[in-house]
Amino acid sequence: MDEKTLRSIIEQVVSEFTGAPAPATSTPAAAATAVAPAAAPAAPLGDGEELVVTEAGPAERGTNPREVVIALAPAFGGVINKTIIDLPHADVVREVCAGIEEEGLSYRFIRIFRTADVGFIAHDAAEYSGSGVGIGIQSRGTTVIHQKDLPPLSNLELFSQAPLIDLETFRAIGKNAARYAKGESPDPVPVRNDQMARPKYQAIAALFHLKEAGLCDLSKKPQALRVEYR
Amino acid sequence: MALIAGVDIGNATTEVALAEVHDGATPRFLSASTIPTTGIKGTPQNTQGVFQALTVALEKAGHEIGELDLIRINEAAPVIGDVAMETISETIITESTMIGHNPATPGGLGVAVGTTIRIDDLELARAGESYIVVADRTHGFRAVAELINAYAGRVRIAGAILQLDDGVLVTNRLERKIPIIDEVKLIDKVPIGMPAAIEVAEAGRVIETLSNPYGIATLFELSPSETASVVPMARALVGNRSAVVIKTPAGDVTERHIPAGTLHFIGERNADVDVEAGADEIMRVGAQAGLLQDIKGEPGTNIGGMMEKVRVTMGQLTDRDPSGVEITDLLAVDTQVPQSVTGGLAGEFSLEAAVGIAVMVKADRLQMQRIADDMTKQFGIRVEIGGVEADMAIRGALTTPGTSTPIAILDMGAGSTDASVLRDGDRAASIHLAGAGNMVTLLIASELGLEGTDFAENIKRYPLARVETLFNIRHEDGTAQFFDEPLAPELYARTVILHPEGMIPLPLRQPLEVIRQVRIRAKERVFVTNALRALAAVSPTRNVRDIAHVVLVGGSALDFEIPQLVTKALGEYRVVAGRANIRGTQGPRNAVATGLVLSWEGRP
Repeated sequence: MDEKTLRSIIEQVVSEFTGAPAPATSTPAAAATAVAPAAAPAAPLGDGEELVVTEAGPAERGTNPREVVIALAPAFGGVINKTIIDLPHADVVREVCAGIEEEGLSYRFIRIFRTADVGFIAHDAAEYSGSGVGIGIQSRGTTVIHQKDLPPLSNLELFSQAPLIDLETFRAIGKNAARYAKGESPDPVPVRNDQMARPKYQAIAALFHLKEAGLCDLSKKPQALRVEYR
Repeated sequence: MALIAGVDIGNATTEVALAEVHDGATPRFLSASTIPTTGIKGTPQNTQGVFQALTVALEKAGHEIGELDLIRINEAAPVIGDVAMETISETIITESTMIGHNPATPGGLGVAVGTTIRIDDLELARAGESYIVVADRTHGFRAVAELINAYAGRVRIAGAILQLDDGVLVTNRLERKIPIIDEVKLIDKVPIGMPAAIEVAEAGRVIETLSNPYGIATLFELSPSETASVVPMARALVGNRSAVVIKTPAGDVTERHIPAGTLHFIGERNADVDVEAGADEIMRVGAQAGLLQDIKGEPGTNIGGMMEKVRVTMGQLTDRDPSGVEITDLLAVDTQVPQSVTGGLAGEFSLEAAVGIAVMVKADRLQMQRIADDMTKQFGIRVEIGGVEADMAIRGALTTPGTSTPIAILDMGAGSTDASVLRDGDRAASIHLAGAGNMVTLLIASELGLEGTDFAENIKRYPLARVETLFNIRHEDGTAQFFDEPLAPELYARTVILHPEGMIPLPLRQPLEVIRQVRIRAKERVFVTNALRALAAVSPTRNVRDIAHVVLVGGSALDFEIPQLVTKALGEYRVVAGRANIRGTQGPRNAVATGLVLSWEGRP
C-alpha cells in the first residue's frame, strides 16, 4: 500500500464521516463496536451546556509561571464534541479546568494543527506554557501531561486508554498538572487498565483518529482559543 | 609457606582476608573480599556465603581453593540481633468530634463557628443563626456555590465542610468568602445540628485557635473541666493547616495508652520496667540491673509476644530449645509512628508514640564448632575457630597506620555494636550491644511510614537531593548540580535518593529536610547511644573519658555520616575517634578477618 492509496482511503473515510450526522453509524466497523458502549458514568455536571471554541489569532508563549496550557487536538470541541465514551467535551474541559483552579493556578487554551499525535500536542502545550507544564487532549479523550524539558515522546503522565478516562480522572489530570507546575511531586493519577478496551474500541478509535488527522494543517501555527459555554 | 584465609561472618556481610605466611615472617596479604552473609549469622546456612567469599578472594589472588591450607573463622558468638517496634499510644475519636485532616487545598481563611446543617436543609435554617454547611459528593462546586450565595442574604453561613476536593473552586465562586474544609471522606458521619468550629490558616502557616485548648474553650464557651478534656483534641490538631471541631454531648477524643507489658531484666540485680514508660526509663532500669543474664517479657502482653518470637526464631536457627535462648542486651529507642486515627472521618493520621527495640541473643561456641566441622567436610580444608571476635577486631584495627596500644575499637555492624579495649599486657575487655544498622533502618521505615525496608535502607545509605527542574538537582547541603541531558520524567519535582546506580524517587510527601532529620536522628539514637554505652562498659573506670583513642570499624563505619556523628559526640568527652584503615588499604572493613590471620602468626 503506497502513500497514494492510503491517502485516498483516509479521504474517503473523512468525507463519509463529515457527511454523516452520527459518527458511530456510518461504517460497519463502527457499528460493530457501537453496540458495546462503555460503562460511561453519567456526567454529574452534564447540564446540556455546549462548548463553543473560537480561534483568537496565533497563540503566544506564556511567561506567567502560574499557568497551565491546555492544547486541544484539531477536532476537539469542534467537528467532534464527545469522547470515545460519549463524555461531552464541555464536561471534559470543565473538569480539567476545575482541577487546575482548585490548586490555585490559571489555565489557557491553544489548538495545535501540525499533528494529531497527543504526545506532540502536549509537548507543544508545555512549550507555550509559562510554567513549562502543559496538557494535551485528543478528541477521543486520550490525554498527556507534559513538561517542556522532556523529549516529546517522553511525558510526565500518559492516559493512553481513552475509553477508561472518566470525568473524575479528567479532574485529577488537571489537578496533577497544576501540582507539577507548582513544583510539587503528586502521586500519578491512578490509571485503570482493561485488556478488552483495545479490541473493543480499536475500530472506532481509528475513525476518531482519521477524522482528527484529516483536520491537521502542517503550515498552521498553534492558535489561541476562546472557550465558552452556551 | 602456608596459604591461610581469615573469615569473618557478620550479620550483614562475610569478609575474607587471604594471606601467605612464611615461617617466622609476617603474613603477606594477597587479597580480600566482601559478600552478603547467607542466612543468620552463626547458623549452618553461612557456609554458602563463606564459600563464595573465599572463591572471590582466591580468584583475585590467582589461587585455587585446593591450595588453601587453613581457614580461620571467628567465634561469632553472642551477636545475633533482632529488631521490633511496639506502638504504645493510640488516638481514638468517638462520635466524630474532630476532623483534623489536612486537605492540600482548603478554601477561604479564618475561624468560623456555627451549627452544622445539610446543604439541602438550608431552607429550614433559622434567620439570625450562624451555620456551617455540610455538602456531600452529589453536590458539585457550582451547585454548592450557588446555594450558599442564594441563602447568604437570609441566613448567616459561616463555613462549609465538603466531601469533594472543591474548597478553592467553591470559594472562588462565593460573593462572601468563608473558610471551607474539603476532602472529608466519611462526610455522612459528621453530626448534624451540633455546634462546630472551622479554622483554615494561610498557605504555609498552621492553625492557631483550634490547636489551643483555650481557643476551643473560647469558641464553645467551655467550663474549666470541659477545657481539660479537649487537651488531647487540641494536641492532635497541632501543625495542621485546617481543622474542624464539633461539640457533641458524648463525643470525645482520647489518647489511650496501649498496655504494652513489662520487661524483666535478670542480671546482678533483677529489675522490672513497664514498656509504656518509654525508652529512657527502659534503658535506665536495664543499666541498674548490671551485667545481664536474660531479659523476659511479661507473658500475654505485646512485649511478651515479641520477646517470645525472638526466642523461637533464634531457637530454630540455632537448633536449640527456645526456653534456653538468653537475651543478653536490649536497646530501646523512643520513636513516633504515623497511624491512622481510630474513628477519624477524613483518613486522618496521628503520630503515635512507639518504642523500637533491638535485642541480642547469646549463641554458644558449640554452634560455631559445628559450622567449622561442616565446612571442613564440604571444602576438605582444615577450619578452626580463631577466637573472640572483638580481640580479632583489635588485632586487625592495629594495622591502621598511626595506631598503637592502648587502643579501643568500636565495631559498628548491621546487627550489633561491639567495643573492646586493649591495654599493654592486658587481655582485651569487650562487650557486644544490641542495635546497629538494622535498627536504624527500622526507625527510618517506621517514622516515615514506609512499608518494607528497601526504601529505608537506601535512605540510610545515601544522601538525598531535590529535583528542581529536569536539568538540575539541589543537594541536601544546598548546592546545585546541573545536567546536560534531561532527567527521567518520574524524577520530576521529587525528592530522590542519590543511589550510585541512579536516582531513586521517594514516594513520600515529607519535605527533604524532614526526611534528612529522621535519618540523622535515627543514626544518632542508635550509634551515638550505643557508642557511649559500649565505651563506658569497656573503659577500665566505667567512664568514657578515660579512653583516649577510638578506632571505628565495621560496615556502618563506611556510612557517609555515622562516623562524623560518633566522632562529634565522642569529642564532647575529649575522646579522639576516627575511621580505621585496615592494613592501610581496606578502610574500616576486614578488621576481624585480618585479625584472624595475624593471630595465627602468633602461634607456633
